[in-house]
Amino acid sequence: MVNKYLFLAFSALWVIFFLYAWSLSWRQAHLEKELKELKNKVGKGRPSDSRPS
Amino acid sequence: MGEVQRIFYIHAPSGWVAGTAYCIVFLGSVIYLWKRSPFADDLAHAAAEVGFIFCSCLLVTGPMWAKPVWGIWWTWDARLTLSFVLWLLFVSYLMLRSYVSSPGRAATLAAVVGIIGFVDVPIDYMAIRWWRTQHPQPVIAGGEGSGLDPRMFLTFIVCVGAFHCLFSCLLVQRLRLARARRELSAIRRALAIRPSED
Repeated sequence: MVNKYLFLAFSALWVIFFLYAWSLSWRQAHLEKELKELKNKVGKGRPSDSRPS
Repeated sequence: MGEVQRIFYIHAPSGWVAGTAYCIVFLGSVIYLWKRSPFADDLAHAAAEVGFIFCSCLLVTGPMWAKPVWGIWWTWDARLTLSFVLWLLFVSYLMLRSYVSSPGRAATLAAVVGIIGFVDVPIDYMAIRWWRTQHPQPVIAGGEGSGLDPRMFLTFIVCVGAFHCLFSCLLVQRLRLARARRELSAIRRALAIRPSED
């Protein structure tokens, strides 16, 4: 039987790396969404829309 | 020690990578303050974030080895305390980046933290050589009487290599994200400025 501390240590490591990989992927997707929105605005020919009020 | 000894193969490489990450933070910070290079700033920021992940792994896996071997989860000896300080340095670096609103000011302040905090890395490395600690004595470069069984040494070196590869992959990915974010901000600024320039 696998030692419970060994199991916990390896599980914790996997969870930490999985969460970080997910966080990177989420931020990447968010950035792509922002870029798409920006492209849509530029495509409509209204660049001044993005000017801060 | 039994099976629990295998935690060593993930615990020690996590510590080595955390140290490497802080060295990159230090170098990036020095270059940023010297040359004002955005890439150096992105590199330091990315290394701090990925280093924080590995340092967290170090602090999580250590107590899981300590409990069955020492009978306690944690003790405030020199090595453990300095590793915890390293983790706090990563946290303060990242919090500084988040809470200071001006990007230029945040980068400068974070670079100062990155340089001053670097003092912890060599002291942390040498702590088990300089002082008598609860933490085991060094098995690599520890002088006479130290060392690992050749099979354990090979496994350990493979693990250190694998952890550094993982660190490099995550660092590159995080750098790409930083560059994309910087480019997006530049496009936003250009679009906002262009009408007034016409």
